[in-house]
Amino acid sequence: MTYPTKLPRGGVDPPAETLVPRDSGITNAAVPSRALIPLLQHSGKPALCLVKPGDRVKEGMLIGNADGSRSANVHATIPGIVVEVGEHCLPTGEVCTAVAIELGGEFETSGKPRSRREWESLSRLDLLERIRRAGVVGLGGGSIPTHLKLAIPPGSASSIFVANGVESEPSICADDALLREKPSDIMEGLRICQALLTPARTVIALGEQSEDLVPEFERLVRQKGIKADVAVLPSRYPHGHEQLVLAALGSRSPAGEQSATVLNVATLYAIFEAVILDKPLIERVLTVTGSPVSHPRNLKVRFGMGVRDLLEECGGLSSGAAKIVMGGPMRGVSVDSLDLPVTKVTSGIVAFEGLAARPHAELPCIRCGSCIEACPWNLVPTRLFKLVRIGAAAAAEREGLSSCTECGCCAYSCPSRIPLVAVLRQGKHALRGSDA
Amino acid sequence: MKSEDPPALLFLGLCPAIAVSVRVIDALWMSAGVMLVLLLSGLAMELLSRESSGNEARHSFDRGSPAARWMRALVVTSFLTASFEAGLLALAPAASAALGIYAPLIAVNCLVLGRGMPGTHNLPTRRTVVGLLGRGIGFAASLVAIALVREALGAGTITLFALGGFGGTIVIPMLVEQPLRALGFAGGGLLCLGYLVAVSRAISRRAAANPAGGEAAQ
Amino acid sequence: MTWLVGLCLLPAAGWGVFLFGTPALIVLAVSIAAAILAELASTLPFGRFTLRDGSAFLTGFIVGLLMPAGAPACVPAAASAFAILVVKQSFGGLGRNWMNPAMGGVVFALLSWPGPMSQWIAPKGGAVQGAVMPPLEALRAAMAGPGAKETTPLAILSSSGFTFSDLDSQVLGWINTHVFSPMGISLPPGTFDVLIGHVAGGIGIVSVPLLMLGAWFLLFRGIIRWHLPVMYLGTFAILAAVFGGLGSGNGWFAGGPGFHLFSGSLVLGAFFVAPDPVTSPMTNKGKCIFGIGLGTLTFFLRFFGSLGDGVAASIVLGNCAAPLLDRWTSRRVTGTQGGAA
Repeated sequence: MTYPTKLPRGGVDPPAETLVPRDSGITNAAVPSRALIPLLQHSGKPALCLVKPGDRVKEGMLIGNADGSRSANVHATIPGIVVEVGEHCLPTGEVCTAVAIELGGEFETSGKPRSRREWESLSRLDLLERIRRAGVVGLGGGSIPTHLKLAIPPGSASSIFVANGVESEPSICADDALLREKPSDIMEGLRICQALLTPARTVIALGEQSEDLVPEFERLVRQKGIKADVAVLPSRYPHGHEQLVLAALGSRSPAGEQSATVLNVATLYAIFEAVILDKPLIERVLTVTGSPVSHPRNLKVRFGMGVRDLLEECGGLSSGAAKIVMGGPMRGVSVDSLDLPVTKVTSGIVAFEGLAARPHAELPCIRCGSCIEACPWNLVPTRLFKLVRIGAAAAAEREGLSSCTECGCCAYSCPSRIPLVAVLRQGKHALRGSDA
Repeated sequence: MKSEDPPALLFLGLCPAIAVSVRVIDALWMSAGVMLVLLLSGLAMELLSRESSGNEARHSFDRGSPAARWMRALVVTSFLTASFEAGLLALAPAASAALGIYAPLIAVNCLVLGRGMPGTHNLPTRRTVVGLLGRGIGFAASLVAIALVREALGAGTITLFALGGFGGTIVIPMLVEQPLRALGFAGGGLLCLGYLVAVSRAISRRAAANPAGGEAAQ
Repeated sequence: MTWLVGLCLLPAAGWGVFLFGTPALIVLAVSIAAAILAELASTLPFGRFTLRDGSAFLTGFIVGLLMPAGAPACVPAAASAFAILVVKQSFGGLGRNWMNPAMGGVVFALLSWPGPMSQWIAPKGGAVQGAVMPPLEALRAAMAGPGAKETTPLAILSSSGFTFSDLDSQVLGWINTHVFSPMGISLPPGTFDVLIGHVAGGIGIVSVPLLMLGAWFLLFRGIIRWHLPVMYLGTFAILAAVFGGLGSGNGWFAGGPGFHLFSGSLVLGAFFVAPDPVTSPMTNKGKCIFGIGLGTLTFFLRFFGSLGDGVAASIVLGNCAAPLLDRWTSRRVTGTQGGAA
């Protein structure tokens, strides 16, 4: 086991009472009777629609074809009949084509044992093609199509490859649950990535809450003969971010150089399923939590399931619920409708009670420096904020505005409750506007 | 035009302005000197430039060239300032002593206030006089205002001319015992100057915002 | 947060009121009222109501704590009004002022009314003597005169005729005979008085132990960080210890830092005023440098200057450097190669 070479700085410790019991495992959510599947569930271009209303689709059938290289395939998550193909709003506010499927017909694959396929004999291109075909994207939050990350020029090697098991958000514990449930399969996914990347060094990074899994993973590493270290990293938010994980492991990842690759453990599991079980990415593990939720838990959910159904699955909401957020509590997006579907990017659903969701009046900045302490990127958020407010976004850019990942630590720590993230985002929009 | 902001112009003549605005009487003498020299030098410059107008500048020391104009202005202004000093020493030795080393700096103030004015625009003499008089009055008003505030609050007195039975000093009853002495220091002078500039800027900005307001129309 | 700082200052203020009586209460009330009125006068016409943030109250409170109890009411009133109107609101109110308002007001008062600013009142139960003076002022007077031959500040005070309270001599007598005499040491007279703050001085600054009580609470609650106060007091103590004796002709390492740490507004300044977030640097490194600078400035102003005990003036001077320190000490942005600024 290795320890971080450089302790990361910044970040915040929100009161993340882990409402989900540690050993509750992963529950299979019920199959929704209707699934609304957007064709944009990844970063890049939306997939091209292959079906029309009235079509009968099978489980796992390709319904959206990747449009160009920076796009990903989308598959039917339930068998049935296409009832609608139309424009729908995503939680982020983007509008894209979505396919609505009414459940019907037979499950041809679910619940049946799948045969495991050999992969060692496959060529690099075949492996990548299988991953691409299955529509695997980064499940840690970036949602970049995974085959792009794994496709490095032939002959070159990655300097470091990290299997990232550090949770990306507080009070989300889906990765931890997956690590407990499927360690062996994750390691198999890791081996596939090693074969593709031929990295000089491989690290399995676990968060503090998964520390008890270290012996298990070290045993697996020995058993499978994998060349990899197991490291425990502080799971202070936002240190699950891939750049910060790399920084903590002492590896600098200069921009533009593809020498370090970080993949979330859920992504590794998806790679395992795609390559070995020949199963497309149609479901993921996510955390449903928050004090208004009756039974917070980790669930395996098929994409397209509505938030309302999912909350019902967890025993429904208490009357105090005031705000539902898709994603994590820090970076998630507050939703205005419970009919929005779960997609590949949804790492969790968090419900807030009235008091926690109440907006506060903004007070003047008193230059206390809390945001500087909290910023994991060593930015000076208050200065950026003031520059953006006076309309000097270009000056803010020189101070590093574009390095901001909108992790929200500054706004969280601000005693004057200044909406720093919103203002910095405005600044970035202003910059983009002036470029165009 | 920026030069129409007399308090801001004081920044350029900062050293004498701070030094002579501790007492109202000193500020008055300084203002009188500046106005007199400004006016006379302006007139002289105007006449001199008339005399030399029409001559195309051929090299930098020709009479119509900017360098020559500056040298003329320098000589004229210093001569007038020196005359004023001498006159003051003869007629009002106390005032001369109070102004001290700052009296020659009248020349600096006049060059700053009168810059670009005479002999460049071929203005008729009357308008030159009016313009210079305006600037002189603005400067004097600012200086005396600062001096009034500083002396009244900083020392509790207002020193004016002795006239007949009047001893020359108005004493403000309560303040004179415990004045805000900080205002008498250079820092206090800067503070007053700062507020005066702020107020004058605010007024001119408001006037610019609604031209119907009156004075700003011209 | 601001209200909490005020709360932490209450014990020391209470001690001051107990020692100096009603005049102290009046001074405190006048300075707070003036600050609040000034805040109202400068914000209400613009449709803002800012009293709830507590900064005007705290400014008035600190101004009052630094005043001598015998100051005529107009002095704290003018100092508070100056602090709010000129130092704070002229620059745009809370968060935009570059100078600490309370310290600005106090420096203004020190410059304007040196006389009223030294109208000390003898503490309850204190020694009866001709001119009431805080020990620090008395020490300066004694050192300015000829024949200060003693080596420690307290000894200089004793030899110059400065007297301490009966309580002091009783307590010290008991301690010296029962505790220290076997070890062959004896505490000089005045130790007890200076230690607990049973002396003349500013209303809220005489009692260092009670100030420390509030300071611990602030540190404990994370309202202030340790960097600035530790660096400030540390730098000052070291400089005072090494060079402090030079002025009285006692040579090196004869400064008596303990006496100086316990007198004047040093503790109040280091824990309650200098860490004011608005006017101190934002980064920890910046705070350290700021503290070192303040310690040095205070040392020079106290030992070689004439403006009070040097704390208020040095904080005002130090405030000018805070934005610059922020620039110098901002870190390289993670993942980039170049500098941050």
